[in-house]
Order: sequence, then C-alpha cells, then structure tokens
Amino acid sequence: MRSLLYVSTVAAMLIFSGCGSSEPTVDDSANANNQAEEINIVDENSDNSNMESTDLDGGSTTLESIEAKMSPIYFGFDQYKLTEEDIDTLHQNVEMVKNDTEAANIADKYSLKLEGNCDEWGSDEYNFALGLKRAQAVKSELINDGIVAEKITTVSYGSSNPVCTEKTQECWSKNRRVDFKILP
Amino acid sequence: MRAIFGVLFLSLLLWGSDATIEVRKGVDALPSIAVEDASVDYKKGLSKRFFRVMVSDLNVLSIFNVEREYVTADFNDKSVPTVHKKIDYIVRYQLREEKGVMVVKVNLFNNDKIIHKLTYRIKNPKQYVFLVHTIAASLNDFMGAEPADWIKEKVLISRTTGPGRSEILVTDYTLSYQFSVKRNGLNVFPKWADKSKKYFYYTYLSHGVPELRKYGIYDKSDKFIMKSDGMMVCSDVSDDGKKLLLTMAPHGQPDIYEYNVASKKKKRITKYSGIDVNGQYMADGKIAFISNRLGYPNVFSKKITGQATEQMVYVGKSNSACTAHNNYVIYKARESANAFSKNTFNLHLISTKTDFIRRLTVTGINEQPLFSRDGTTVLFVKKYKNQSSIGVIRLNQNKNYLFPLKGGAIQSIDW
Repeated sequence: MRSLLYVSTVAAMLIFSGCGSSEPTVDDSANANNQAEEINIVDENSDNSNMESTDLDGGSTTLESIEAKMSPIYFGFDQYKLTEEDIDTLHQNVEMVKNDTEAANIADKYSLKLEGNCDEWGSDEYNFALGLKRAQAVKSELINDGIVAEKITTVSYGSSNPVCTEKTQECWSKNRRVDFKILP
Repeated sequence: MRAIFGVLFLSLLLWGSDATIEVRKGVDALPSIAVEDASVDYKKGLSKRFFRVMVSDLNVLSIFNVEREYVTADFNDKSVPTVHKKIDYIVRYQLREEKGVMVVKVNLFNNDKIIHKLTYRIKNPKQYVFLVHTIAASLNDFMGAEPADWIKEKVLISRTTGPGRSEILVTDYTLSYQFSVKRNGLNVFPKWADKSKKYFYYTYLSHGVPELRKYGIYDKSDKFIMKSDGMMVCSDVSDDGKKLLLTMAPHGQPDIYEYNVASKKKKRITKYSGIDVNGQYMADGKIAFISNRLGYPNVFSKKITGQATEQMVYVGKSNSACTAHNNYVIYKARESANAFSKNTFNLHLISTKTDFIRRLTVTGINEQPLFSRDGTTVLFVKKYKNQSSIGVIRLNQNKNYLFPLKGGAIQSIDW
C-alpha cells in the first residue's frame, strides 16, 4: 500500500509539473554552427527578366514627373479606411491632373495603377491583403470622382516595397501608403 | 487507492499525448555524444564544416548532450581518444575522395565498441549539408528516438534583397546550403507543390498583376498558373498536392479559394467584405484562416463546404498568421496593447480538442510558423535586432534553435 501511495504521489507530481507556467528554454547555441555557403545560379530560363523598363510614348520622364506630383495616401496602423484628409489629398491629385493639359492627355491614354503598401508589422500575407484593401479604398474614391473603373488597376506589395527602412514610428507611417503609377 | 492511482495514471496518459503541454526533460539525463573528424587528405575546410553541421544536427535532435570541441582521430583506431573516454557515444566520420566522388564513412562508438556503421557516396560535395542531415536522421533512428526525417527536408525561402526585389532560395533548415533558383523582380510566397519537392508555386509581382507560377528546380520549367488583380498567394497545399488554398482578389476583395490542380477550377471558400487570408488545411475537411472580422486579425476555422465560421483563439491582440496540423494550430500573437512595443510577437500552440495554450517563443518578432509533415517540429521566422533567422522548435523536447540569415530578410518560408 505504501509503495502504491508513493507511485500515485510521483504520478501526481508529474502531472502538475506538466502544468507549470515557466517559459520554454531558448537555446541559441546553434547560431555559432551555421555555415552559409551561397551558390548563386543565374536563371537563364526565366522569362521574367527585363520586364520593368518600358519606353512609353509620353516619355518616361514626363510620366515620372506626373507620378511625383501625385501625393501618396497614408494610413493609420492596421487601417484601410480613408479619412477626410485622405479624401482631400485625393481630390487635389485629381484636380492636378485635370488642370495640367499634358497630364490630362496622358491620363486619357494610359491607365492608373494603385500600389498598396504596409509597414513591417503584421504577417506578410495579411499585409498583402491590407495593402490591397488600401488600394481598393483609394480606387473607390477615385471612381466616385468620376474616374472610369476600367482605367484603374490595384496591386499590393505588402511590406516588400518600403520607402523608409529605419525602425521608427515616423518611418513606419511613411510605408503605410498607396502610391500612384501610370501604366500604358 | 487503486482507483485513485488509476485515475492519476489515465490523466497522465491523456495529458502526455497533448502537445500543448510543456514537456521539460532534465538535460543531465541525456547521454553525451562527441564527434571526431577522421578525414584523410581531404579539404580541411570542408571536413571542419562537416563537423560543425554534424554537431549542430545532433544538438537539434535533442536526444544527446553534445560535445562541441573539434577533435581528430584515426578512423581505424578501435578505441576512442582519452579526451572522449567519459563520453557515452562517439560519432567518428571520414571524408575521402574516390574516383571523383566523396565517400563518407561513419562509425558510432559506445563503450569503446563500434555499434553502428554507415557509408555514403556523394557526387557533389557542395551538397554535403544534406548528407550530414541524412546521417543525423539515421543515427536518430538507430537510437530509437522519435523519427526526425524532417531534418533532411529541403526548405524554400524568399529573401528580400531590396525594396520591390526578392529571390527564392532552396536551402536546408540551418541555411547552411543556399541555392538561388528565382531572381529578378519580386518573387514571394514559395510553396512546395508536393512531397517530392521538385516543383514549387510562387507569386511573381513585377507586371502589376500578381501571377501564380509553378517552377521546377531540376528542369527549370516556369509555368504560368493564373493571375488575379490585386493579390495572389498560395497559402497551403493539400498533403496529396492535388488542391491549393489560395488568397486571391479577382474583384479586389481578398478571400480564400480552393484550386483543383487537375481540373484547374477554383472554388470560393470565404466571403467577407474585410480581410480573409492564410488558409491552412486542418483535419475533418476544415481550414484555419486569418480574418479581421472582429476588427483585428484573429484565427478562425470553417468547413470547406460549409458557411459557418468559428473563432479559434481568444488570447492575443493581433493574431495575424497561423499554421495547422490535424487538430493543432500555431498562431502568431502580439503580446501587448501597444502596436509598436518591444514586447512584440510570439508563437502559441493550441489544440482544437482542449483549452490549453502553450507559448513557444519568448523574445523578438516570431512569425510564419510551419509544422513539419509529422507535426513534431515547427519551423518559423524570427526577426530580432535587424536580423532574420530560421527558428526550429522541437515540440516534445521543448527546445528552440536559431539559424541566422546572412544578408537580406526572410519574406516567406516553406518546407
């Protein structure tokens, strides 16, 4: 009976030790053993290369100058709804294009791409969706302003396309944005 | 008294089978092991790197106390050096070249006796890392430990190389072997197409419209699968490789779809005006996914064929990523109410069958958890002090290991 009591006590101790609230042990010791050996293979079969530079009729300099005049729309943390201030900025962008003859001509010929971006917080897949919702919010407001929906495309880069890489709140706020790009 | 003991014993068995309960083993109870390099006329640099990866692997197996000192020996010596006399097990390896092929012999000693022998040949010595992992898995099996085949698996990572640029690498879990397979533009969210690991799906983003493509790491084929305005991510692949869970937004609205690889037909799984992402196959025809339907990202589940959704997690402020294995889910949670505090993101393990929650990490930003196929081990990405690392969690052994990436940041991983 005494041995049975002892076994029961040990079993109970094992159970309660399983409920302990102490943190898991973190062993960083393996760091020192990581031997990176990079093998760089140029992928010649890829048909994805050289696709970024496109020579447009309007001249890339002109397009870039118009893009530069359109202010990005900035968002709060984990937000994708436009504020009154955002809507004012959007209206200013639209007016700028309408009042500039050259910009208006280009706007007639080309499409507008809205690029949604996020800061580095949150998971990458969630950030891609968040960036898309931001781009969609801007698209909806532009449609309300009379822009033809078919001329607007949206894309999200999540946190993969930061304009600022410092670890500050000011920097992160610059990355929570929608950029305007003109496409042929 | 017997009844009491019976209840206690039954409780122990039931609790012991739940991975959400921490298992803490005394380190001193583990047998000791040391590694000896007995290579002859072989490149000293490689044989030393072989040593370091072997020590690392034995450590991660979590069944030994591993000696780290580099020691050489004569491969044919039938006894172990004096310095290792008190060590329980010795792994002695020899690398040598034979007709242009690297031959690797391994002897495992116990009490001055050879108890296990292994021999391997490898044509490309640059792939020695996977050979070390194979040896470690074999030694693990010989010791009768919990299977560790995950250690041999090829790992895919997308590495951010600059704003709007990333490449996809084939690597191993320690990042010791790195082979760049996709460059130019933004190549993100790589996902193995099936268990054979000859092909992977990935998202290509440079034209403006995100494309899902399938790449062959051996035949270098690069096949367009489909595209979707706004967003296109392969979040999970079914065990048989026949179905994919995608997050896509054909009408600007990010939702989860299931894609049939054979029929090329897709089916919408979620329909919500906010954000639904990160679909993960679970047991019983269910998926786990991340949704902001409560106003912040959290983990939900639903049947693939049903409409009702169920909140799975009630702890954490911003639970924006998850992985599932049968009835277990690991999720990433923000620890404090302050969105930008230093007490950042940790991983937690829950069971759909119990109320237990087990925290798996303690510092830094820990994200993108991924179960091994057998569910015993978790791979994740750790970001700490401007450095990305791959982390390995041995669930039953309650141990974490880190392997830092030299240069760039890890965007996404799969194994």
